[in-house]
Amino acid sequence: MAETASILVVDDERGIREGCRRILMSEGFSVDVAENGEEGLKSTKARPFDLILVDLMMPVMSGLEMMEQVRQHDPEIIMIVITGFATIETAVEAMKHGAYDYVPKPFTPDQLLAVVNRGLEKRRLTLHAQKLMEERDQKLLEVANEESKIHAIVNSMADGIIVTNKEHQLVLWNPAAVKMLNLDKKLEAGKDIGETIQVGTLINLINKALSPDSSQYTAISEEIELANPDKRILMANVSVIRDKDGQDLGVVSTFRDITALKELDQLKSQFVSMVTHELRAPLSAVEGYLSAYLSGAAGNDPHMNRQMLERAKARTHSLLDLVNDLLQFSRLESKKVERKKELLDLTDILINTVELLRNQGEANEITFSLDLPEKLPLVEADRSEMEQLFTNLISNAIKYNVKKGKVAISAGPTNHYLSIKIEDTGIGIDKEHLKSVFDEFYRICGPETRYITGTGLGLSIVKRIVESHFGFIEVDSNAGKGTAFTVKLPIKKEL
Amino acid sequence: MSKKTKILLVDNDVDFIDLNKAVLENSGFDVVVAYSSAEGLDRVRFEQPDLIVLDLMMEKHDSGFGFAKAMKADPTTKNIPILMLTAVGSETGMEFSQELDGYWMKTDDYANKPLLPEDLVKKINELLAKSAKE
Repeated sequence: MAETASILVVDDERGIREGCRRILMSEGFSVDVAENGEEGLKSTKARPFDLILVDLMMPVMSGLEMMEQVRQHDPEIIMIVITGFATIETAVEAMKHGAYDYVPKPFTPDQLLAVVNRGLEKRRLTLHAQKLMEERDQKLLEVANEESKIHAIVNSMADGIIVTNKEHQLVLWNPAAVKMLNLDKKLEAGKDIGETIQVGTLINLINKALSPDSSQYTAISEEIELANPDKRILMANVSVIRDKDGQDLGVVSTFRDITALKELDQLKSQFVSMVTHELRAPLSAVEGYLSAYLSGAAGNDPHMNRQMLERAKARTHSLLDLVNDLLQFSRLESKKVERKKELLDLTDILINTVELLRNQGEANEITFSLDLPEKLPLVEADRSEMEQLFTNLISNAIKYNVKKGKVAISAGPTNHYLSIKIEDTGIGIDKEHLKSVFDEFYRICGPETRYITGTGLGLSIVKRIVESHFGFIEVDSNAGKGTAFTVKLPIKKEL
Repeated sequence: MSKKTKILLVDNDVDFIDLNKAVLENSGFDVVVAYSSAEGLDRVRFEQPDLIVLDLMMEKHDSGFGFAKAMKADPTTKNIPILMLTAVGSETGMEFSQELDGYWMKTDDYANKPLLPEDLVKKINELLAKSAKE
């Protein structure tokens, strides 16, 4: 009680009232007085007191009755009875009504102060105890909060976690671990992990971490393959927890599902191996031709030798095309392509592309026709990608055509899309191959395509460009009659 | 030699075929060619070659195995030695093993691609000599 203790004196005898006041005030207490029980009750309701001195015999409301009521709204208040009948009976009666002590009349100032100080000490201790209790409750609440916080964090982790003690018993786990390891949902703390977790590789890892010669490990990471319920690969990280003396306390195992990553990794390896194959085939052909030419292994016919060199040159060229396509492909694949999209009228791009490619069709006497309306609706697109897109499609239409074949290009709006159709009268594509023509390195092998060089990436680049412009591409073909590719790009500005 | 030794080349790479056909013909062989396993199987029965040079990776990355299996199952063609050409080991990590591929590895041979035409001729001669002994 750092502040001044406040005391209320309730007595109908003015002499006692004023006497008490003077004695207590001289000791530095703050003192209020009341003439009877009712007034006293009113005062205690108006402001809190540390202690009240109550005369038992008063008019209007007796001391006992008043004490009864005060205690109801302030149970911690210290009440001391002033009584003229200092009998055991009255004292006991007063104690029953919540009095802490009593002062028999008449009393000396020292007697009064002794009782009051004792009462105030009691009050101080009570309040202190109360404060400590409140603090403890608060601490307990905080601990409970902390626990539930950790619980919430562990349970919401996407990674699985399992904690075991050094007796190989289950201590803590989260739903992600239950799901990943396909565990029984009714796990029990304290159960042996060997019985609960039917994943041999993981149990071995934990045992290894807890084995006596494990002191060199702080953590072991290993991939775990699961077959049940479906094939999955987990990256498990098993860390040993030790106390400050280096004694093992237990093991924290975390798991991350890396199945999707692994699949991606495999796709990437497959792609790399395809690329290697595609790069090596032309290179070894070129090497073979040159080597045979130099050693004369194919004979000395000058016509034959010239033909070999020409083939070597053609394969070198196709190799360059492949490298270019690969660069373009990886640029599209990386998704970091910075597209300079602008409002484009494709008319010029289509006309220019046909002009640029016209001489490629000369040897086979290919004729071209362009059927465009006076004005095309605008699309939002990257100019250089559009040039690449139509170059790939039109050059395919030339390459896979027949002698004196035709390439027809037409364009026009359909619904909210601009359709551009590139049609040829070439060798066509069999139904079984149609769905695969956009796959990387998918090339159709047949007698007609044998001498056509291609990278196998042209159409996959086309598809990627179209899709990155929110469009789509359709292919329609009749084997032996021809193929039509239709590109549809969303119209940005109607006419 | 009254009759030329006949070699069947089966490969989907047109340059490989054109080049090695020229070199093998220049080395005195009679050469017939096929560009796919299906075409190859037809040619084997029809031509009855003395040796087959077979590419493993054609339509599929292991088409050559199917070819070899079908051929060795046919009594009229099962004794024709095969020289299997492969780039498989280095690309897919797949390796030939005597145990798995023994049904044709016993008498036959394989070589890694890329392979220079001169080396192919050498390999063919070796395999022909080995098969003649058996």
